[in-house]
Amino acid sequence: MVTVKLFGTLRLDSGVREFTAEAASVKELYPLVLREIRAKKADTAVTERSLRACLVAVNGEQVSPRAKLRDGDLVYLFPAVAGG
Amino acid sequence: MTNYCGYMGKVVLLDLSTGKAENYIWTDLDREKYIGGKAMASKILYDSLTGKETPFSPENLIVIATGPLTGTGAPSSNRFDISSLSPLTGITSSSNCGGNFGHYLKKAGFDALIIRGKCERPTWVEIDNGEFRFHDAASLWGMKAGETQEALQKELLAEHGKPVRCGMAVIGPAGENLVRYASVISGERAAGRAGMGAVFGSKNLKAITSAGDAVPSVFDKDKALEHHKRWVSYIRSHPLTGEQLPRLGTAGLVSSMQVHGLLSTRNYAKGRFEDFEAVSGEALAEELNVSNSGCLSCPIRCTRRVPVEGKTVKGPELETLGLLGGNIENRDLELLCRWNYELDELGMDTISTAGTLAWAMEANEKGLWKNGLSFGEVDGLSQVFDDIAHRRGIGAELAEGSKRLSEKYGGKEFAIHSKGMELAAYEPRRAVGQGLGYAVANRGGCHLNGGYLVVLEGLGMNVNGQTPRGKADLCMIMQDLMEAISMGGQCLFTSYGVVPAFMIRNPNGLLAKTVNAVVPWIGPAVRVLNKAPEIACFQLFLLPYTYELNYTVGMKMNIGKFIRAGERSYNVERAVNARFGVSAENDKLPKRLTDMPQDPKRPDTKVPLEQMNMTYYRARGWEKNGLPSEKKLRRLGIR
Ligand code: SF4
Repeated sequence: MVTVKLFGTLRLDSGVREFTAEAASVKELYPLVLREIRAKKADTAVTERSLRACLVAVNGEQVSPRAKLRDGDLVYLFPAVAGG
Repeated sequence: MTNYCGYMGKVVLLDLSTGKAENYIWTDLDREKYIGGKAMASKILYDSLTGKETPFSPENLIVIATGPLTGTGAPSSNRFDISSLSPLTGITSSSNCGGNFGHYLKKAGFDALIIRGKCERPTWVEIDNGEFRFHDAASLWGMKAGETQEALQKELLAEHGKPVRCGMAVIGPAGENLVRYASVISGERAAGRAGMGAVFGSKNLKAITSAGDAVPSVFDKDKALEHHKRWVSYIRSHPLTGEQLPRLGTAGLVSSMQVHGLLSTRNYAKGRFEDFEAVSGEALAEELNVSNSGCLSCPIRCTRRVPVEGKTVKGPELETLGLLGGNIENRDLELLCRWNYELDELGMDTISTAGTLAWAMEANEKGLWKNGLSFGEVDGLSQVFDDIAHRRGIGAELAEGSKRLSEKYGGKEFAIHSKGMELAAYEPRRAVGQGLGYAVANRGGCHLNGGYLVVLEGLGMNVNGQTPRGKADLCMIMQDLMEAISMGGQCLFTSYGVVPAFMIRNPNGLLAKTVNAVVPWIGPAVRVLNKAPEIACFQLFLLPYTYELNYTVGMKMNIGKFIRAGERSYNVERAVNARFGVSAENDKLPKRLTDMPQDPKRPDTKVPLEQMNMTYYRARGWEKNGLPSEKKLRRLGIR
């Protein structure tokens, strides 16, 4: 079981902050995130493609979207941001 | 007078000691070289200051300068600049503001206002269609920024018999009491950094109002309008300027900074704050954000509006969230919004206030200065801020800033400043190019004047933040570009549109990864461009500023000339600082950032400053002492 948190415009668009899922890799996680978002907002504009374009962090460190996951991991998904 | 459009053609020198206003000669050749804003102000300071003045001496100048695009309808072009010797750093400094004062200064008929001397007693100055009137400010002295502006509106109404549409630049109690990081407030916006408010206070100048009917002309109205439309539509379609900034503001960076280890925490001891979510842009948007707003003529509208004490007021920016959040271990967002409002009202820079506070908390913890302040203990800080603004109790000492306090009590290694100015919220040990920028920045610990490389090193792009490779050259070119952009009066945030949209929309894609990998290697190319900018004798849609200067101002501008103007601006500012004793010796960071890795298991997580500094001077064509030579200044047309 991993905990997933969404950030940035992805969170504002989907209304999803956090949920738990069974996934052994980030790749496996994408359809589960989309399912969670659709359950909350059926007409969401978020797609699996837009999720794949997000940056991923596991346990606080940025990782490749190809990273494997372990039980208990905390996964962040966030679109790139800049400027302040 | 000028043959260029956009300008009002007049720069005025107002002597507060004599009450006389005289024309300051500023030619079209000066306009071509320095365009406006901070660059113009730096040249005026270069021509006027000898090196003997001090920030609080009557001989110190305040230069309030606008750009030629301000008031012309060009997008996001409402910014104005206040430059002077900074009470915090003792050297030249500038502060950029999105309030309406610049717009109305032009309406009154001036491109820039130079102030010298000192009023005998508290005074406010009214500028009305080119005329200056001095008014007694005894009844305003002691008032906060908001009530000062309300009182001024009433005074103007009484004087003119009708409401007066005007711009204002006022100080709060912090400026009156010479807090070294006091700000100048215009509407709800602050010229926050570098203590410009204290320079106002030292001159007994409580406020300036400006009004008039003049309108800047536009060189080619049709082309300018067409270009504005194209640019606005680009701004709105870009993921940063069209989505992130309007929807989350700069506050949207907190989460990303956390992941990249860039979020200043516990006086920069760490780059991650475990409770970052409590003080993030997402929390602000979901829990408190009432609406967005923006500076005049800006399609981005990045400002958050939040509820405080039953009113809706300007919300905190990323810097304030970081520095009054994790950096002092505060988890209370509502409290943070209130402090942000209170500090603006007191007329005090949130960045330097927070940086000084964090230093004081650590000094207390280490037993260097028993002051009763502790990380995470946030009740009662409103009172501390009020005490700083009025120089009461420990507030009198905190009003001096972290550099002076660390010289008095010890703890220099964790006084997080450069040249006396506290750093912004980006922890540079995971973005070493940003670290270089903080150290060499002419005005001290400023992320923007330092080139803002963090936008390449983790925010926006994903260039390796630990490698020093290429960073000196990139720092230089980014500094020059940002100088040039702000000369016209435009907001630097428009430049995020320069980051290719695909880097933001698909940062995991092959193209984005390739760009990130290549960027550190482009140093030599940057240096060639810097040596011979004439080769860039073209314009680029991604840098729309040159089109604006062509169509609105009628100034023949291309990328090469634009970069050269930025370089000239940076060099003239450095040349003024040289007169006040600045050299390579001052381009420093505290030991915490250069000698102590952020992650003890990774020795590379610190800023390799010495190595980068020398490369930076070489890239700039400066001497080993970190200063531009006479030859360099002549080559840039400064001498
Ligand atoms: S982007 Fe933000 S700070 Fe810049 S001009 Fe627009 S509203 Fe003002």
